[in-house]
Amino acid sequence: MTDARDQAVDEDVESFRIRARAWIEANLPDRDHPGDDDRALQALLFDSGFAGIAFPREYGGAGLTLAHQKVFYDEVRAAHRWAPCGMPWQVSIGMMAPTILDHGSEELKRRHLPRMLRGEETWMQLLSEPRGGSDLAGATTRLTRDGDTYVLNGAKMWSSGAHTCDFGLCLARTDWDAPKHRGLSMIAVPLHDTPGLVLEVIRAVDGNPGHFCQEFFDDVVVPVENLVGEENSGWAVAQSLLFHERNATGGAGYGYGLQNARPTNRQAQRSADGVIATAKQRGVGGDPVLRQLMAESYIEYTASRFANDRIAAGMRTGQFKGPWGSLLKLHLGALSSRHAKIGLAVGGADGVIWEGDAKVGGVAGEAWLSARGIAIAGGTNEIQRNIVSERLLGLPREPSPDRDLPFSEVVRNQHR
Amino acid sequence: MKLELTADQEFFRETTRKFLESESPLTAVRQRWDSPDGFDRGWWRAAADLGWTSLLVPEQLGGGTLSGSPVADAVIVAEEMGRMVAPGPFVPVNVVASTLATWGSADQQALIAGLVSGDEVAAWAFAEPGRSWDADAVRLTLTVDGGDVVLAGRKAYVEAAAQAGHLLVTARADAGLTQVLLATDTAGLTVVPGRSIDIVRRYGSVVFDDVRLPGSALVGEVGGAEAAVERQLQIAVALQCAETVGAADRVFETTVEYAQDRYAFGRPIASFQALKHRIADMLQWLEFSKALSDAAAAAVDADATDGEAARLVSVAKAYIADHCLDIIDDCVQLNGGIGVTWEHDIHLYSRRAAVNRAVWGSPEEHKERVAALLEI
Ligand SMILES: Cc1cc2nc3c(=O)[nH]c(=O)nc-3n(C[C@H](O)[C@H](O)[C@H](O)COP(=O)(O)OP(=O)(O)OC[C@H]3O[C@@H](n4cnc5c(N)ncnc54)[C@H](O)[C@@H]3O)c2cc1C
Repeated sequence: MTDARDQAVDEDVESFRIRARAWIEANLPDRDHPGDDDRALQALLFDSGFAGIAFPREYGGAGLTLAHQKVFYDEVRAAHRWAPCGMPWQVSIGMMAPTILDHGSEELKRRHLPRMLRGEETWMQLLSEPRGGSDLAGATTRLTRDGDTYVLNGAKMWSSGAHTCDFGLCLARTDWDAPKHRGLSMIAVPLHDTPGLVLEVIRAVDGNPGHFCQEFFDDVVVPVENLVGEENSGWAVAQSLLFHERNATGGAGYGYGLQNARPTNRQAQRSADGVIATAKQRGVGGDPVLRQLMAESYIEYTASRFANDRIAAGMRTGQFKGPWGSLLKLHLGALSSRHAKIGLAVGGADGVIWEGDAKVGGVAGEAWLSARGIAIAGGTNEIQRNIVSERLLGLPREPSPDRDLPFSEVVRNQHR
Repeated sequence: MKLELTADQEFFRETTRKFLESESPLTAVRQRWDSPDGFDRGWWRAAADLGWTSLLVPEQLGGGTLSGSPVADAVIVAEEMGRMVAPGPFVPVNVVASTLATWGSADQQALIAGLVSGDEVAAWAFAEPGRSWDADAVRLTLTVDGGDVVLAGRKAYVEAAAQAGHLLVTARADAGLTQVLLATDTAGLTVVPGRSIDIVRRYGSVVFDDVRLPGSALVGEVGGAEAAVERQLQIAVALQCAETVGAADRVFETTVEYAQDRYAFGRPIASFQALKHRIADMLQWLEFSKALSDAAAAAVDADATDGEAARLVSVAKAYIADHCLDIIDDCVQLNGGIGVTWEHDIHLYSRRAAVNRAVWGSPEEHKERVAALLEI
């Protein structure tokens, strides 16, 4: 391990803050001009002992706590500097790496975690299927043991970043006679040059190539060592993955700090600044109704910032037990469409119609079309509401008639 | 509702809660519906003894904070008051004490001891009939006449006006916003007691018929009250937000419990997904409200001059007044018919939330303030 990591042993949060601040000021780029090599920046963070701050040192982390991690990203933000964030880091480091840490074999952890934290290798998730995404435990992708290897058959869908990432964590069925939750396994599938794997980018609602893909697996051979957790214990691994996903989406992620996100143009349009800029451009900033709506957007985004801090604190101190990140995800999922609708109001006709190529508020219409994505990805708003009511408040669970049946007897989609 | 309180704050919350539960249970609150004052003087002195009125006053004037963050300390009381829809002129007394401590003359600061002990009550006369809760909307005139000042006009929606011995009045002079402190028995001043839909919170109007006062009644300079008024509004709104959050928190807690015990169609009503999903939304609004209420209090404590406190206070008010009212309102629905009876306690909370929504500026007014602060 590097010297920087040795320095960090037992370091209290305030000393860490001072050390982090000095390092950030000396090394990280301005957040308005971050350059375009996040991968190199991630490597720099890693080599200096600031990647995976709450990960154990033997796997390349800094061996500190979530409190240290939060301080680091607070300092990055306060100094107006940039550290890699968003895709693919949000998924690879914020969700996949902690899942491997929770459930991976010692060998998987030692081989892959340092590479993931350094940004040399990126991972994504292969959970949803054409058959359905909410009912994750109903996966019908087939994983069969064949001597010293596994063989994968079936299809996955909506897989964000599969076309650029190195590995996908794939949930597949290994036992068809067990009840649905007890016959699943999680396995790491290499995505480059893999015989039998066909990968297609899905065209998104705005007409552009999406950030997600569809994969077809035809007798894809995967080494047995790539299994994450035990055979048939894939549901527990998926649960832990989803836990990290909700936290990461909400900004309370383990091993990462998303408060630092750099808005892309489309996201900026989603944040209140975007609608305010459009209003000024169109000269409608004085309209009292639109002023109310723009203030509402600003208020909701401000609320989510402080709620992130609150929930992160509750989870850190143990006052919030369970998947509290779901509350943040639910807010984001509800806000996204509401905010996009405010964008339509502010954009007016210019938000949906433009002359030549000069989109004035034209992005408003496209942002609205895409906005539902957040309400669906990573567990729909409805699924988050189930989780919040059942797991945070302990209300009665939804009836699930298929829960204890052998999976082979479960009723599935009607074909039309 | 801060997650990380100091040991002193934790203890303070506990004593405040116990005091309210034993000395102001909801049955006692209901009994005050017919009382003109809404609160009992002896009870208020006991509350003051616990520290309710001293947090925003510095030590040398007989007060002191628990944590070094006086507004965050006072928020604890406000939250507990909200949970028990408690009576008592908590906001006006604290606002006036805080302003006198910062801007008052030595003579005026002599009133602080009485406010801290609970023997004296003071009110802040700010808003005017039919006008917005905005310093720019103040029209009550203050004219300088030799060594005297003369006040003419009318104030409305003044909490505890008829219960107060003194009024802090915000007026407009040629030179700008100006404040005075005067006794409520001053000649030319008439207090018109009023009522509100709240069970125990009393409001009144104040008529100033050329009220003549010596220059010593001025709190600060003529035309120099802008910063004080802004600070007063920020403190009032921060405390009010905390109170509204406390009210919604309690209603939510009891309603979720009820929904698990109440059966229909052979199952607890809390098992219906239509209700579970609304309860989930409510928890989201509630937690976000708590986060914003604490953030606003912290910003007022930090006394941020870059507009951060002003912005956050308005953000908090707009969000909390709206969402906490919706939480309480939807909880009425989840209670069914019993929820719209006098007998059920939930209306005590609906009342408080509806009054708090309007007082110190509605969500609509605060959204406009946010828009202005963002220079839209
Ligand atoms: C932008 C984007 C990125 C994505 N990235 C990934 C990824 O990287 N990896 C991955 O595996 N998946 C990914 N997904 C897939 C996503 O997780 C699924 O789309 C989602 O879980 C919903 O599944 P579904 O689309 O099959 O809808 P369905 O599950 O068929 O749901 C249809 C409707 O029924 C509702 N519904 C279902 N069950 C219930 C219930 N119990 N109670 C109430 N309502 C219910 C849903 O809320 C929804 O409104 C992504 C999706 C999007 C849009």
